[in-house]
Amino acid sequence: MSMELSIPRFWRFKHSIYRLQAARCRSCGRVHYPPKNACPYCGSRDLEPIELPKRGKLVSYTTVYAVPEGSRQYSPIYVGLIDLGLAKVVAELTDIVDPSQLRKGVEMEAVLRKARVDRDAGLIYYVLKFRPAMGVPDVQA
Amino acid sequence: MAEIARIWGWHPEQYKGLAVDEKAVAGPDEDSLTMGYEAARNAIARAQVRPREIEAVFFGTESKPYAVKPSATIIAEALGITPMTMASDLEFACRAASEGMRALTGMVSSGLIKYGLVIGSDTAQANPGDVLEFTAASGAAAFVIGPEKGAAAIIEDSVTFVTDTPDFWRRSGEPYPLHGEGFTGEPAYFYHIESAVKALFEKTGLRPSDFKYAIFHQPNGKFPVKVGQDLGFTLDQLKEGLVTPMIGNTYNASALIGFAKVLDKAKPGDRILLAPFGSGAGSDAYSILVTEAIEAKRLLAPTVEQYLTRKVKVDYGFYAKSREIIYVIK
Amino acid sequence: MQVFVEGVGMTKVERHYEKGLSHLAAEAAFKALDEAGGPGGVDYIVVANALATLQDEQLDLGGYLATSLGLRGVRALTIEAGEASGLAAAQVAASLIESGMADKVLLVGVEKITEFPSSKAYRHLQMIYDSESRSYYNVGFAADAAMLMRLYMETYGVDRELLSYWPALMHNNAKENPYAMLNFAIKPDRVSKALVIAEPLTLLDTFPLGDGAAAIVLSSKDSSSKPMAKITAIESATGLGSIELSDDPLIIDSVAEAYKRLSSLTGVDRFDFIELHDSFTITALLILESIGVAPKGKAAEMVAQGSFSPTGPGPVANPSGGLKARGHPIGATGVYQLAEASLQVAGKFPGVQVRGAKRGLVISMNGLGSNSFVALVEGV
Repeated sequence: MSMELSIPRFWRFKHSIYRLQAARCRSCGRVHYPPKNACPYCGSRDLEPIELPKRGKLVSYTTVYAVPEGSRQYSPIYVGLIDLGLAKVVAELTDIVDPSQLRKGVEMEAVLRKARVDRDAGLIYYVLKFRPAMGVPDVQA
Repeated sequence: MAEIARIWGWHPEQYKGLAVDEKAVAGPDEDSLTMGYEAARNAIARAQVRPREIEAVFFGTESKPYAVKPSATIIAEALGITPMTMASDLEFACRAASEGMRALTGMVSSGLIKYGLVIGSDTAQANPGDVLEFTAASGAAAFVIGPEKGAAAIIEDSVTFVTDTPDFWRRSGEPYPLHGEGFTGEPAYFYHIESAVKALFEKTGLRPSDFKYAIFHQPNGKFPVKVGQDLGFTLDQLKEGLVTPMIGNTYNASALIGFAKVLDKAKPGDRILLAPFGSGAGSDAYSILVTEAIEAKRLLAPTVEQYLTRKVKVDYGFYAKSREIIYVIK
Repeated sequence: MQVFVEGVGMTKVERHYEKGLSHLAAEAAFKALDEAGGPGGVDYIVVANALATLQDEQLDLGGYLATSLGLRGVRALTIEAGEASGLAAAQVAASLIESGMADKVLLVGVEKITEFPSSKAYRHLQMIYDSESRSYYNVGFAADAAMLMRLYMETYGVDRELLSYWPALMHNNAKENPYAMLNFAIKPDRVSKALVIAEPLTLLDTFPLGDGAAAIVLSSKDSSSKPMAKITAIESATGLGSIELSDDPLIIDSVAEAYKRLSSLTGVDRFDFIELHDSFTITALLILESIGVAPKGKAAEMVAQGSFSPTGPGPVANPSGGLKARGHPIGATGVYQLAEASLQVAGKFPGVQVRGAKRGLVISMNGLGSNSFVALVEGV
C-alpha cells in the first residue's frame, strides 16, 4: 500500500496546474510559465504572479504512441505547443477525435481533465489540457 | 442503442420502448468533476461575477471520483473560488444538485451568501448487460444562484417532496446500482414528481397553462412525457426541455440540462416548471420566471445545442475502455 | 588545458540483462586501466550516471564502484547532468587534473536503462525535461523532439523524407563499430515507415534503449606516459532547454553558447569530425545549425548531400554511429563520445576511421539544451 506520486508536489503546484498561473518580470516585462524564482530571460528576481489566458493558438503538436507507464488508457497522447499571447505553454491536448484536426493556427481552449491517477487507491491528479476551442469562456480569478 | 444491443444480445424491441437513440459517454480523461468544472465555467461567465464572489459550491452527483474527498473543493480551487467559500458534495441519487439549488436559494434569500454555485454532474454507470446500460450517460449542468438584480431568471417558488422509497440504490463498495425495475415507475418517479408539482400548484395557485415550458427528470424518453401529460402539460410545453433521447440519462444533470436548453431559447416573461427527481426518493418542483437579462447572457457561453451537435460516435469497446468497465491492473 | 588520454575501454551498447552497473563499469574500466598501465596512481574516480537511483536503487554510485573496481580508498565523485552526465563528469575530471588536485583520474560512464519495461523507462526519460512543466503530464520522452521536428519542417519547408538521411548515415557508420548496439544499414526511405513514436518522429529517428559503460584514464602532462589523445578544452553552458520558453526553438541556446566559449578559448573553429548528441534526428540537425556548421534550415539538405559523410567534405559527423545507432546509455554516452574521439585522433578507431583525424569536437546536451557541453579532442 504505497503511493507512486507525491501529494505535496502536486498540491503546491495547483495554481499553476489549475489556472495557468505564470510569472511576469517587472524588470523586462516578459512572462514565463511555470513561475521560476527569477526571470529566465533577464535574471531579475522582481516577479509578480499573472494568470495566463485559457485560450490560444496551436503552434506545434504531436501524437505520442510511446506513452509512459500509467497512461495507457489515454493513449495516443496528444501534446501541443500553444501560444497564449503572454507566453507559450506545452500541454496535453484532449478531445482529439481525428489527428487531422491538429494544424498550426487552430484555436485551442483549456479545460480541466485527469492526467495522472495514482493506481487504484491513490489520488487523481487534474490538470489543464487544451482542446479545439468551442467557446468555453475564460474565467479569471 | 443498437451498438449496446448488439453486444449484449438485446432485441431492438427491448430498448425501443425507452425512446432514446444515443447516450453521451465521458472520455477516458473525464469524470463527473471535469465535466462539472466546464459547466461551472460556462455558468460563472454567464453570471458575470468574479469567482471570489461565490461563497458556496455544491456538487450534486452519484458518481463522485472519491467516496471520501470532496470534488467541490477541487472545482472551487480550479475556478478561483477558494478559500472563503462553503463547499460540499451532495448525494440524493439524481436530485442531489436540485437539493443544492434549493439550499442555495435559502442561503441567498437569507443574505448568508451573495452568490452560490450548484453543479449537477454524473458519469452514470450501470451493470453491463442490464437494461439500465442503455440510458446511463454522462453530462453536467451548473447554475449560479444569486440576488434578483441582474438574474436571468427568478425562482418564484419551490417545494420538495421526499419519502423513503427504495427504488434504485448502490451499496457502499459496489460498482453498479441495482433497481426495482417496475417499482421505479409508479411508486417512485411518478408519485414523487406528481406530488411535488401538485404541491407547488396548490402553494402558488398556478396551473399548467401558466407555464411556457415544463421540464422533468428524464431517465428515458417516455417517462417525462407521460408524467408531463398526466399533470396536464402539452407536448409543446415538454419538447424543448427533452434531451434524453439524444444524450441518455445524465442523472444529476438530467432535468438541469433540459432546463439549460430551455433557457437558451426562453423569452423574458416565460414561466418554466422544473421538476427533478432522485431515487430513494424525492422530487422538487420550481416555478421559474425568465427576465429581461436573459438575452444578453445567452451568448456568453456555448449553448446546449452546441454541445449536442458536437459529438463523435464511439463503439462499445471504446466506451468500455473509457468508462473502465474492462478490468485493468493498475 | 593539458589533459591526456592514457587508456580507454567500452562495452557494446546492448540490453545487458546479465550485467549490472558494477559489472559493466568493470568491463570498461579494467580495459582502460590496463591500457593506461594499471590501476596504480589513480587519484580520483569520477562516475557519470543518471538513472542508478531510479533503475537500480543505488545512491553514491561512485563510492561503491571504487571498491568494486579494486580501488578502495580512491577519491570518488558521481556526476549527473541527465543525458549530458558523461561530458559533465569529464569536465570535472579534467578540472581536477588542471587544478593539480589529481594526476590521474579514472572517468567511468555507466548506465542501465533496461531494468524495467520500456513504459517505465519512458517515464524516467521524461525527467530529462523540466519537471515543473512536464511531470504532471504524460508527454513521454519524445514529444518535445517531435514538436520541434514539425516546427523545423514547417519553418524551412523541408520534407520528412529529407530528414531520413541522418538515421541512414548513422546506421551506415555504426555497422562498422563493434561497440554499436545497432549493426545494420538502413535506407532512408525506411525511416518514415518505421514504428511511430511521437508523430512525425519514428523509431528510426531516435536512439534504442541500451545499457553500457565507457571508461577513460586521464592524466596530467607530468604523469602521462603513452597518451593516445589530449583533451584541449571542455566548455559548457546552461540554457532554457524549453521549446515553449525559447523565442527561436530552432537554435539551441546552450549549444551555441558552449561552442562559442570553446572557440574563443581555443581559437579553433575547424575540426575533422564531430561526435554530437543525436538523441533524435532533429537534435542532430539543430546542433549542426546551432554551431554554424550548417546554415539555418540547411542541415538536413547537407546531410542528404553527403556533406558530413565519411567521404564528404567534412567535418565527418558521428563516425561512431552516434546516439542513433551506436546507442545512448544516457549518463554514459558522453564518455563513449570522448573515448571514440580519442581513438579517432589516435588512428585506432575500430569502426569508421576518419583519415588523418587530428581534431574532433564532442557535443553532448541534456534534453533540448538545459545543459550543453562541448569538448575539443586533439591528437598528440
